[in-house]
Amino acid sequence: MVPCAAVHVAMLADPPLVGYRCSPMSETLSRTDPMPADDALVRVRGLTTRLGDRVVFDGLDLEIPRGKVTAIMGPSGTGKTTLLKHITGQMQADAGEVLVDGRDVARLSREGLFTLRERIGYLFQNSALLTDFDVYENVAFPLRQHTRLPEELIRNIVLTKLQAVGLRGAARLMPSELSGGMARRVALARAIVFDPMLILYDEPFVGLDPIALNQVLKLISTLNQTLGITSVLVAHELAAIQRVADRVILIANGKVVASGDPQHIAQDGSPWTRQFFGGEADGPVPFHYPADDYAVDLGLKEPA
Amino acid sequence: MNARVKPRNILVDGLAQIGEAGLFLPTLLAAVPRSLRYFRETVRQIWFVGAMSLIIIMTSGLFVGMVLALQLYHVLAIFGGTASTGTVVALAVYRELGPVVTALLFAGRAGTSITAEIGLMRATDQLSAMEMMAVDPVAYVATPRFLAGVVAMPLLCCVFSAMAILGGHLVGVTWLGIDNGTFWSNMTSNVHVWKDVIDGVVWKSLAFGAVVSLISVHQGYTTPPTSEGVAYATTRTVVASSIAILALDFVLTAFMM
Repeated sequence: MVPCAAVHVAMLADPPLVGYRCSPMSETLSRTDPMPADDALVRVRGLTTRLGDRVVFDGLDLEIPRGKVTAIMGPSGTGKTTLLKHITGQMQADAGEVLVDGRDVARLSREGLFTLRERIGYLFQNSALLTDFDVYENVAFPLRQHTRLPEELIRNIVLTKLQAVGLRGAARLMPSELSGGMARRVALARAIVFDPMLILYDEPFVGLDPIALNQVLKLISTLNQTLGITSVLVAHELAAIQRVADRVILIANGKVVASGDPQHIAQDGSPWTRQFFGGEADGPVPFHYPADDYAVDLGLKEPA
Repeated sequence: MNARVKPRNILVDGLAQIGEAGLFLPTLLAAVPRSLRYFRETVRQIWFVGAMSLIIIMTSGLFVGMVLALQLYHVLAIFGGTASTGTVVALAVYRELGPVVTALLFAGRAGTSITAEIGLMRATDQLSAMEMMAVDPVAYVATPRFLAGVVAMPLLCCVFSAMAILGGHLVGVTWLGIDNGTFWSNMTSNVHVWKDVIDGVVWKSLAFGAVVSLISVHQGYTTPPTSEGVAYATTRTVVASSIAILALDFVLTAFMM
């Protein structure tokens, strides 16, 4: 069976060629588990995660709607990347469940998890390109691992994806020869090579100059609008998020503290949104990391 | 304020590392059937850890054989037994020096590069990226390197031993004047293929290859994703491999006697 990528390959062309239909990459998944009639592609219920003594999530509940761009925001260290790891099954929760396309990720076998991951694209913060391979081979890597497509078709798919991210001319460059923005775009081409149902972007705007940032924003928007791919963005840049996201979820203290339209969430009025979007140094997220009595540490007072 | 650095217990850390590596072995072996899909990667790794180590192995083997013959010639001369120089060189090389020195060199040359390569892949999220692309990094990265080490080590030991014998011949026959026929005939009549060559060059080398490769791959795979973590992991590979080789050599020799 030809994977989705082989027939969706033309849809990212500029202009997109519409009218293509395809089956999902994973035949087993599509045959045995029909897509549930559910507007939420990702549903998190009562997620509780502890890392050592620290509670990262304390009964977190949230939903990621299908076909939309959802931004996950929150103070540093609040567990945004950890949430992505739960969604992709890289990390197990202490309690609660994470449902992706109706399947409880924690209950999937390793094979089931890999089958699910074939339908999820993940853009790492540092791109995570395979340094031994050039740009072309990096994008071709998932195709070579999971399909037996003829070389000519692989070439067509890879070049189309690279054309979509504007880097067809860089196909034979090595990752070390790419700028940060170019590496991010190559990683994006690799992430969409199977036309996934869901793309997770971990801090996609970090370290990008305004041109590269606009290019990545355009790509996220195009992928969402052209292929209807559900996107989850973990980022801190509200101005960028306002241009691309349909919904913002603000996480702090292990819970969702605010959610809504990115144009208006900053005016929500809660102490969390006021501090986070106003950039206030102190507030619900304290300036000082928890510590013992200051006077005791300085030796001015005996410990109790 | 408690600003003390938690003291490291070297013994406990060492035992924990041995335990973790032992637990990692079944994971590696279980991934062998899946890694057969990446046969070309295994062959590439054999070339990398084997063929690329040939220069240091051949050079070291030659000089080990030369110095061994030089030392033995003068010791045996005291007893009037210089004709046995070739025999003793061969026995020392096949039984001990060949497998042990090859393994030590292999740990320094190939083991560290395996650890550093996998460690950097961990530090730059390449292993996580493979997981996210539904590619098993144990089957694609770790097991091919482990198998490559196991296959390459006996081959390298053969080359090392051949070069050592050649070095012994150069010094003993060409330089010190031992009769060429005596050198070879004494050697062939006193060195046993199964007891000396197969036990040493094959079995010991296979065991050392497995241990060094396991340590190298494990250290790389579990290294903390920092530059300091990779540096410590490569150092630990050399230290742990060296100790493991020498200790295992004693155990194997005791069983083979």
